[in-house]
Amino acid sequence: MELDWTTFGLEILNFLILVWVLKRLLYRPVLKVIADRKADIRNTLSDAERLRKEAQSLREQYENRQEEWNREKDRVRNRMVEEVNAERGRRLTALQASLEEEREKARVVNERRLTDLTRQAEHAAIAQGGQFAARLLTRLVSVDLEARLMEVMLEDLSRIPDERRQAVRAACATSDITVLVTSAHELSQLQRGSLLKAVESFLGRSVSCEWREDKGLLAGIRLSLGPWVLGANLQDELKAFVETAQFAGTAHAS
Amino acid sequence: MHGGEAAGIAFQLGPIPITHAIVVTWGIMVTLACFSWVVTSRLRRDPGSLQTAVEGVVGAIEESISSVLPGHVERVFPFIATIWIFIVLANLIGLMPGIDAPTGDLSVAAALAVLVFLSVHYFGMSIEGFIPYLRHYVAPSPVLLPFHIIGEISRTLTLAVRLFGNMMSLEMAALLVLLVAGFLVPVPLLLLHIVEALIQAYIFGMLALVYLAGAIQTQALRSPSDKG
Repeated sequence: MELDWTTFGLEILNFLILVWVLKRLLYRPVLKVIADRKADIRNTLSDAERLRKEAQSLREQYENRQEEWNREKDRVRNRMVEEVNAERGRRLTALQASLEEEREKARVVNERRLTDLTRQAEHAAIAQGGQFAARLLTRLVSVDLEARLMEVMLEDLSRIPDERRQAVRAACATSDITVLVTSAHELSQLQRGSLLKAVESFLGRSVSCEWREDKGLLAGIRLSLGPWVLGANLQDELKAFVETAQFAGTAHAS
Repeated sequence: MHGGEAAGIAFQLGPIPITHAIVVTWGIMVTLACFSWVVTSRLRRDPGSLQTAVEGVVGAIEESISSVLPGHVERVFPFIATIWIFIVLANLIGLMPGIDAPTGDLSVAAALAVLVFLSVHYFGMSIEGFIPYLRHYVAPSPVLLPFHIIGEISRTLTLAVRLFGNMMSLEMAALLVLLVAGFLVPVPLLLLHIVEALIQAYIFGMLALVYLAGAIQTQALRSPSDKG
């Protein structure tokens, strides 16, 4: 219980030495390690915060870019839709024009086909009419009809205009021609004489005739003077009728 | 060496008598120095269990000082931390058979109390200066100067007597119980000794810290008004 001053003083000295020793050997190194670790943690936290901010910035940048992309996408899509609509309208117009052209072509082809059919029908009708007339006239052939056709021949020869007659005479004067007389039935001597006389009168000189029979003429006579042919028979008349009718029908259709 | 022999002289170093308390204090100092050297020579960023424990102790002390004196931790840390560590070891070493706790010696406790007393004035003067620090003894009125002086002496005295009385009485009680009841009965008392050792160390160190904080913060609070 007594206070020993030596112990008191030495204890003070010991304690101060201990403070110095521990400060050197323990506190400073340990506190430095703790401070370094706290600095590392602060740096790590700072880095983490920086990374977080960078990530946030990148995220905002990405979102802005994505938004910009969406707007660009919408713009491109709208433009594409407009272009598609314009192209569609243009193609529809072209298609309608093409359809109209095709329709016009079809209409023309149809009309032409109808015209052809009509013409064919007319031709067939005319041909049938000709055949019908030929059958009918075949049944109506008689001596009187033959005589009448001979008269028509003689009358036609006498009515030929002078210019034409001169042309025929000029064509027949260059050579010694034979007049070919074709008849449906055999002509009598009287008829032959009348016809020869009329031909010589027409040509203005004497000629020889060759007499032939052709049942295809149905009735009447065909007179061939070189290149010039004069007919007064049913076959030629029917043929002329049919050709005339067909020509008239074709001219009307065109 | 127990009880009345605790203050006895261990040997004579020339004309200077060396008591057992001094010898034990030296032992504690050497042990702490060696332990510190061993620990700090292997410090790593990735600490082991021993380094973690040491860092925990040092960190806890730093936190305690920082909570009371936030702006002067670095300055007072060695003194306060050494008080805590030394008193804990000095108190607990009395549990070892044949060794008395140095803090059970009035000279050692008084020396520690006087060190606290001197450190309070040292830190107070080093912050504000000699005259400005002494001026607070006459503030707010010179009439209070005797009371300030009595307060300084009495709190230093209570520091020393509290530590000495508690540790000495615990050792004395344990010795008496051991003499009367044998070997197993003093065990609860020894456990109480551990608790008491830690509590007394904490109280001593915390009071020293509070006294330091009172001196430093008093100057810090007075400074603006004085300058104004």
